[in-house]
Amino acid sequence: MWVYEKKLQYPIRIKNPNPALAKLICAQYGGPNGELGASLRYLSQRYTMPYPELKAILTDIGTEELGHLEMVGTIVYQLTRNLTPKQIQEAGFDAYFIDHTTGVYPADANGMPFSAGSFAVSGDAITDLHEDMAAEQKARTTYDNILRYCDDPDVADAIRFLREREVVHFQRFGEGLRLTTDKLDSKNFYAFNPEFDRR
Amino acid sequence: MSEQERLLRRIRALQFSEWELHIFLDTHPNDCEAAKKLEECRAKTAALVKEYEAAYGPLNETSANTSRWAWITGPWPWETGEEEDA
Repeated sequence: MWVYEKKLQYPIRIKNPNPALAKLICAQYGGPNGELGASLRYLSQRYTMPYPELKAILTDIGTEELGHLEMVGTIVYQLTRNLTPKQIQEAGFDAYFIDHTTGVYPADANGMPFSAGSFAVSGDAITDLHEDMAAEQKARTTYDNILRYCDDPDVADAIRFLREREVVHFQRFGEGLRLTTDKLDSKNFYAFNPEFDRR
Repeated sequence: MSEQERLLRRIRALQFSEWELHIFLDTHPNDCEAAKKLEECRAKTAALVKEYEAAYGPLNETSANTSRWAWITGPWPWETGEEEDA
């Protein structure tokens, strides 16, 4: 189970609304490299993980990603406050507005709704950990791309924090992969699947 | 920044350090140095939380330890403090 803490992992206070930027940052709420997919990926993969370190790191990083989902939702919410219909249209936020008004909906930057097809649960520790490391890098790239279009220091500060966490998680998953291969046959890591084949 | 905000900021920073050490220890369970640092962080946080609560009242962080009125009162974490509920 989980207990909610009534705070953000890193504080966010955005002074100026910017719906055009909100539309781009949506990508990390419900897009293919976003925080919702990240949390569901890790929290789903952990059940059949064979080693205690892996169960712990997937549970903890999956939980932290839920906190990041809340941070991204907060940015989108604060960027779309107190807007007039004219400002919404001029920013190109009108298509989103028609379906969701200023509610926060998990979709990518083009409006495509969140899909579990954006991540995998393979039931194989080596396969999943490689997916997890790739996912952290894809999220890091997406944050780097957001930063190219982000000239508001209030927003960039929070995005840089989130970007840095992707780098730390990549490191932790790399250690998880090393722990895994250390327990396997160094002549053939793929001789059996430690999540399924019992020896 | 007020003294209250400064203290809260220090508490949040320490809590973040605790989390970093916690996930580091997931993949380095035998690292005594990290475990010791985590204990030091926890002690520092506890002392600051005590200082904060003595001066400004409960931190009200989780649904488990807050009062029912404090729990439903804003601002919520995503809010700016300027929201007016209907």
